[in-house]
Amino acid sequence: MPSSLFDLWPVLGVGAIGALIPTKQDWKLRAGLGLSAALLVLFALKTWDVPVVPEDGPKEWPNLLSALIAIPLLGAGFLLFLPRQSPELLKRFTLGVLALDLLLSLSLLSVPMTKGWHFQSIKEWVPSLGIRYHVAVDGISVWLVLLTTFITPIAVFASFGSIKTRIKELCFSYLLMQGAMLCSFVALDLFLFYVAFELMLVPMYVMIGIWGGAEKIKASLKFFLYTMFGSVLLLASMLYLVWEYTRITGAPSFDLLALSRVMLPQKVQTVCFLAFALAFFIKVPMFPVHTWLPDAHVQAPTGGSVILAAIMLKVGTYGYLRFGMGLFPWAAGTMSANLAGVAVLGGILYGALCAWKQDDVKKLVAYSSVAHLGYVMLGLFSATPSAISGSILQMVNHGISTGALFLLVGVIYDRRHTRQVDEFGGLAKVMPVYAVLWLIVTFASIGVPGTNGFVGEFLVIMGTYVSPRLGRFAGIDAVLAAFGVILGAVYMLSVTQKMMFGPLSNPKNKRLADVNTRESVALAPLIVLIFVIGFFPSLFTDRMKDAVAAFDVRYRDSFELAKAHGNNPAELVTIDDASFLKGAPPLGKAAVEAARQAAAEGSK
Amino acid sequence: MPLVGAFVNGVFGKRLGKDAVRLMALSALGTSFLAAVVAFLALHHQAHALHDPATHKVTSVAKLSWEAWRWATVSLREGVGSTTINVSFAIDPLNSVMMLVVTGVGFLIHLYASSYMDGDPGYYRFFSYLNLFVFSMLVLILGDSMPLLFVGWEGVGLCSYLLIGFWFTEEKNAEAGKKAFIANRVGDFGLLCGMAMLLYYTGALDFAGIHAGAQGLLTKVQIWPLGSGLPSFLSFLQPAKPVEVYAATLCGLALFLGCAGKSAQLPLYVWLPDAMAGPTPVSALIHAATMVTAGLYLVCRLAGVFVLSPAVMTTIATTGALTALLAASIGLVQHDIKKVLAYSTVSQLGYMFIGVGVGAFSDGFFHVFTHAFFKACLFLGAGSVIHAMHATIHDSDASQDMRNMGGLRKYMPFTHASYLLSCLAIAGVPLTAGFFSKDEILAKAFESTITPAHPLMWTPPAYWGKVLFAIGIIGATMTAFYMFRTYFLTFWGEFKGWRIVERHGHDDHGHDDHGHDHDALEPGTGREHLEGPAPHESPWQMTLPLMVLGSMAILAGYLNAKILGETLHAHGLMWLEHWLEPVFEHASRAVVVPAFNTSHAWTLAAPGMAAAAIGIGFAYYAYVLHGGAPTRDLAEKVPQLHKLLLDKWRVDELYEATAVGAVDELATTAVIADKWLVDGVVAKLTSALVKGLGFVLRLAQTGRVQVYAAATMVGLVAIGWFVWAPHPDAVVIGDPGTGAYKVQAAGGVGYKFKWDADGDGKPDTREWLESDTVEVKLEPGKAQNVTLYVVNSFRRTAKKTFQVARPKKDGQASSLDELNKQLEQLQQLIKD
Repeated sequence: MPSSLFDLWPVLGVGAIGALIPTKQDWKLRAGLGLSAALLVLFALKTWDVPVVPEDGPKEWPNLLSALIAIPLLGAGFLLFLPRQSPELLKRFTLGVLALDLLLSLSLLSVPMTKGWHFQSIKEWVPSLGIRYHVAVDGISVWLVLLTTFITPIAVFASFGSIKTRIKELCFSYLLMQGAMLCSFVALDLFLFYVAFELMLVPMYVMIGIWGGAEKIKASLKFFLYTMFGSVLLLASMLYLVWEYTRITGAPSFDLLALSRVMLPQKVQTVCFLAFALAFFIKVPMFPVHTWLPDAHVQAPTGGSVILAAIMLKVGTYGYLRFGMGLFPWAAGTMSANLAGVAVLGGILYGALCAWKQDDVKKLVAYSSVAHLGYVMLGLFSATPSAISGSILQMVNHGISTGALFLLVGVIYDRRHTRQVDEFGGLAKVMPVYAVLWLIVTFASIGVPGTNGFVGEFLVIMGTYVSPRLGRFAGIDAVLAAFGVILGAVYMLSVTQKMMFGPLSNPKNKRLADVNTRESVALAPLIVLIFVIGFFPSLFTDRMKDAVAAFDVRYRDSFELAKAHGNNPAELVTIDDASFLKGAPPLGKAAVEAARQAAAEGSK
Repeated sequence: MPLVGAFVNGVFGKRLGKDAVRLMALSALGTSFLAAVVAFLALHHQAHALHDPATHKVTSVAKLSWEAWRWATVSLREGVGSTTINVSFAIDPLNSVMMLVVTGVGFLIHLYASSYMDGDPGYYRFFSYLNLFVFSMLVLILGDSMPLLFVGWEGVGLCSYLLIGFWFTEEKNAEAGKKAFIANRVGDFGLLCGMAMLLYYTGALDFAGIHAGAQGLLTKVQIWPLGSGLPSFLSFLQPAKPVEVYAATLCGLALFLGCAGKSAQLPLYVWLPDAMAGPTPVSALIHAATMVTAGLYLVCRLAGVFVLSPAVMTTIATTGALTALLAASIGLVQHDIKKVLAYSTVSQLGYMFIGVGVGAFSDGFFHVFTHAFFKACLFLGAGSVIHAMHATIHDSDASQDMRNMGGLRKYMPFTHASYLLSCLAIAGVPLTAGFFSKDEILAKAFESTITPAHPLMWTPPAYWGKVLFAIGIIGATMTAFYMFRTYFLTFWGEFKGWRIVERHGHDDHGHDDHGHDHDALEPGTGREHLEGPAPHESPWQMTLPLMVLGSMAILAGYLNAKILGETLHAHGLMWLEHWLEPVFEHASRAVVVPAFNTSHAWTLAAPGMAAAAIGIGFAYYAYVLHGGAPTRDLAEKVPQLHKLLLDKWRVDELYEATAVGAVDELATTAVIADKWLVDGVVAKLTSALVKGLGFVLRLAQTGRVQVYAAATMVGLVAIGWFVWAPHPDAVVIGDPGTGAYKVQAAGGVGYKFKWDADGDGKPDTREWLESDTVEVKLEPGKAQNVTLYVVNSFRRTAKKTFQVARPKKDGQASSLDELNKQLEQLQQLIKD
C-alpha cells in the first residue's frame, strides 16, 4: 500500500484530468470518467513492479477462485428472489455482484505469477469416476479471468441502456454466463471444463433468442448447434483419454495434470487431437467453421455481442492452448504447419477480405474478429514463447478493442435502429466525441503502434517468423500475416470514411445525439486500457512469461518424447516439471484410495 | 512536450479559446526546440571529447541515450533465446541534426499556422494533431530500436491521415487521407517483414545490435519453391535448382518498400500529391520537410544493412532516379501550385534516394537537410499566396490555380523574395544550398561503386552510375523549368485574380481539353470580372518563418559545401560530413569513392549548372517574354503526351485497374464463397443431409402395425438364417520358439467340432467333440494345414482350412534372408 496520500498523486492527478474532460456539466459523467481513469492508473502503478516472492512462499487464499466463480452463480440464484417489478434494484444488484467479482479478481495480481499453479483448490466431486473440482490459475489464464471480470460489468452496464424488457432474465443470464466463463478459464479438470463449456452456451442462446434482432431464432440455433457439435466430439475424445488412463493406472481421473502423462500412440493422438481441435476451432472460430459467428453477432444484442466476442471466443483459443496443445503435443506439433496455413489464409486474409465487403457494420466487426483471431491462432501454432505471449495478449486486446467496437456500433444502433453503412455519413459533424472514440478504437483494431493491437500482432508476427514448428513456411506465414495488416487498414478505414467523414448526406442523421453519460462511462476504461497495453505491454507479458516459458519447455519435451514413442501402445511418461504436476492425483488405485483417506482424516 | 500539447489542446482546446491553444502549441514546440539545441550542444561536447586531435579521427560514435522502460521481449531464431526491446531513446550525430530540423522547422511552421489557420473552427483540433505529429516524428527519429522507430513511423502516418482529412466534410479530403494511410501501410508491411528478417538473421532489433549482427544476413534463402516442394501437377513451376537469394537482399528490399511508402517513391508515391488536400502548413511540415524524409532517415540509419547487398543499393538508386524523372515530368504541366510543389517533393526525394543508393549517405542526408528548408519555404510561400488569393477568390481550388495568379510581386514583397531564394536553391543555381547538395549526389552517382559484401553477389554494370547521372541531369533541367514556371506565373506579369477561371467552366473542359488556353494570359470567354480586395501581404507570423527559411535555403548549403571546401581547403565548409562520419564509418567502407580532384569535381558540376541555367532560361523565355505561347504551342504539337502528363501518366488509374481491382474482386469472391460455399457446405449441406436422413427414416414410421410386423419378420428371418448356417472360424496361437501351436475355434450355439490336424485330408476322429482346440507340433521351417469341421444344433456342417507355419529355427539367418528378400523386392519395384 502507498505510505501516504502523496504517493497517490499520479492517481489523483489523472483522476482529476479525467473528471475535467467532459464539456457538459454532468457530475455523473465526471465522476465516472475520473474514477475509471484513476483506477486504471492505480492498476498500472500497482502492477509496475512484479511482486517479489516472500521468504516463506507466496500467501494465497486457496478459495479465491471458487469465490470468484461462486459469487456470480450465487448472485444469480439470489436474483431469482428479487421482485421483477423493480428493475432498478435488479440492475444495481447485478452490477454490484459483478463489481465485487472484479475487485476480488484484482487480488490475483498480488502474487508473483511464477511458473506452476496459483490459488489452487481441489475438492473431490465424483470420486468413483475420478472427477474432482480442481481450479487454479497460471500466468496464462489469469489474464483471461481478469478480462472476463473486467468486460462483463461494462457489457452489462452498457446493455442496460438499450434493453428495457425482461430485465430479470437478462440479469440472470449475465450472472450465470459470468460464472460459467470464469469456471472454464480456471478449470483443470476436464469434466469441470466441459460442464462450464456447455453451461455458458445456454445463457447466450437465451440472450440471442430473446433480445436479438429479426432473425434471432435462426441465429441462436445455428450458434448452439455449431458449438454443440464440437463439444460432443470433445466429450468423446475426452472419455477415450480417461479410459486409456484408467486402463494403465487402474484408477480413473479427469484431471488435466494426470491425463497429460498419458502418451498415446501417434495415430490415436492425432484422432483425439482432431476432435479436441475441431471443438475449439468452432468456438474460436476458424475457417471454415466460422459462419455461425457473423449471424450470431448480427442478431445478438449489444451486450451479448460484446461478451461473445470479447470473452466467449477466447474459451476456444484458450482451450486449444491448454488442452489441445497440452494433451496432444505430437499431433498439435506435426499439424501446426498446415493449421497455420489455414489460420493465415482462411483467418487473417479471408476474414479481412470478407469484412471489407460487408454493408452491415456489425457483420464487418464480426469478420474482423475472424481475422484477429487468425493472428491468435497463428501465434499458438507457431508456439515460440513470444508468439504464445503475443497470442495471449492478442486475446485480451481483441476483447478490449472489439468489445469497444461493438459498444460503439450499439450506440448508433440505439439511435437509428439500423446498422447499414450506407445509412450513415458525416457523423463526425454531429457526433464529434463519438467519432473520436471510433477513430481511437479503429486504430487499436488495425494495430497502430501505441495502441494494444500493435503489440499483439507484432509479437505474433515476430514469433511466427522464427518458429521452428512451421518449418519452411514460417517466413511465408509471417509475411502473409503482415500483409493482413494492410487489409485491416483497408476495411476499417473504408467504413470509417463512409460513416464518419464526408458530407452529412442523410437527413435522418442531422439530429443524432452524441454519446451519453452511460455510453461514455462504459467506453472510458476500454479506451484507457488500449493505451496502457500499447505503451506498457510488459505489465502483462512479464506476468505471463514464466508460465509461457514453462509451457514451451513442456511442449517441446513432450513432442520429443512422442516422437520417440512412435505408434507403441499408450503408456505413462514422466513430466519433468514438479510445479506443473502439483495437485495431480496419485497414480494407481491404491494410492488414490490412500490419498483420499489421508485427506479425509486431515479434514477431521 | 508536444505530446502534452497535443493532449491538452485535443481534449480541452475547445474550452480554452484560441489564444491559449496558440500559446500551448507554440510553447510546446519552442520548448522542445530549445531542448533539442541543448541536447545537440551536449552531444557536440561529447563528440569533441571523443575527437582525437592527433589523427583527426573520431574514435567512436558520440551518443546520448535514455532508457525509459522495458517494452516487450521477443524470441529469437527457432524460438530459442530472446531479446528485449526497450523504450529507449538515443541521439547520435545523425538524428541530432534531424531533431534540430524537425523542431526548428516545426516551430516556424507552427508560428505560421497560428496565423494561417486563424478563423478555422477546428483550430484546437488542428494544433492538437500538429503537436501529436511532432511528437511521433521525434519518436521516429530518436527511438533507438526498430519497433520504437516503427511506433513513430506509424504515428506520423496516423497524424498525416488525420491532417490530410482535416476538412473531413469533403469526401475528397477523407478519401485522400485514406489513400495516404493505406499506401503507407503497404510500406509498413514491408517494414514489418524486414523487421522479422532482421530479428531472425541478426538476432536484435536495436540499431547497435543490428549492426553488430549484420553479418548474419549473408546467408542464402530459398525463395522458390515455397516450403518443401510443389505438388506434382504444378511441377512445371518447379525449377531445376531452387531460387536462392541472400537474406541481405531480401531484407533490404523489404525495408526499402517501407521507405518507399513513407518517402513517396515508386511505386507508392501516388498518395503524396493527393495529400495536398490538407491545410498548407501541413503540406509544408509533413509532406515536404519532415515526415517524407523518414524513409531516407531509415536508409541512413540502417546503412550497414543496406550496403551488404549491392542489388538493394542499385534498386534504391534506380527507383530514386526513375521517381525523380517521372515526378518532374508530371510537375511540368500541373496548374495547381501545391500539386507542382508536391511532385517536386517526390522528385527531390528521388534525388535523395539516388544519393543513399550510391552509398553517398551523408550527401543524401545533406539533401534532406537543405530540402527541408527550401521546400518548407516554398510551401509556406505558396500558402501565403493562397491565403492572399483566398481573400479575393473564395474557392479553395481556384485560389490554388496558378492561372489565376500573377503579378503578386508587387503585393507581397516578402513572400516573393523568399520564394525566389528557394526557387534558386531547388533549381540548383550555384552557391545556393540546393546546388551543394544535389550536385554532390550526382557527382557521387557518377563516380562511386559499391563492393559487394560477398564475392558471389550480383553487382550493377559499371556504366550504371553514368546512367543515373544522366537521368539526374535531365530531371534537374525539368526541376529548374517547372519551379521557375510557378515563380513567373505567380509573381510576374499581371494579377489575373480579377477575372478568374470560372469554376464550372474549368470543370467542363477540365483535363480533357488539350490545354489550348491553360497557360493563357488573355481573358477568354466564360470568365467574369470579379470585384474584391487586392491581394495583400500576410501578417508577420507568416512572413517571419518565410524569411528565416528563405535565408536558410541559401545558407544551409555552407554547412557541407564540399566542392567549395575542397577547392579552398576550408574544412569548416564540410562540417556536416565530418559530423556524420562516425555514423557511416562502417557502411562507407564498402563504398569506393575516387580521391577528390578539383578540376574533375567542377567538370561534374558543370552539367548541373547548365541544367539550372537552361531550365530557368526556358521558363523566362516562355512565360515572361512570350507569355506562355511557346509551351502552349509545344503542348498542341504533342497533345497526347501533354494529356498523359496532365493525367499524371494515369498511374492512379493503372493501380485502380490492377492491384486495387484485383483485391476488390478477391474480396467479392470471398464474400460469395463464404455465403454459398463455406456456409453452403458446412451448414446447409449438413442440415440437408440430416433432413434427408430424417425424411427416409420418417417413411418407415408410418404408424401401421402391419408394416412394423413385416419389418420384424424380415429381421427375425435374417437372424434365423445366421443361426441356421454354421460358421467355422479359428485363430492360430503359438510360439515359434518351441513349435507348439494351438488352433482355437470360435464357438456358437450347440457347436461341436472335428479336427484334421495331421493334414491327411480326413478328420482325425469320427465323433464330434466338444473341444474347440487342437494342438500341433511343428518343426522349424515347416508348415501344415489344419482343417476345422463344425456342426451346429441343426446338424448342419461346414469346414474351413487354416495354415499353421513355423519360421526357420535360426531366427537371425531367417530374418536376414527375409530382409534380403525385401531388399530385392524393393529393388524390383524401383526398376519397375
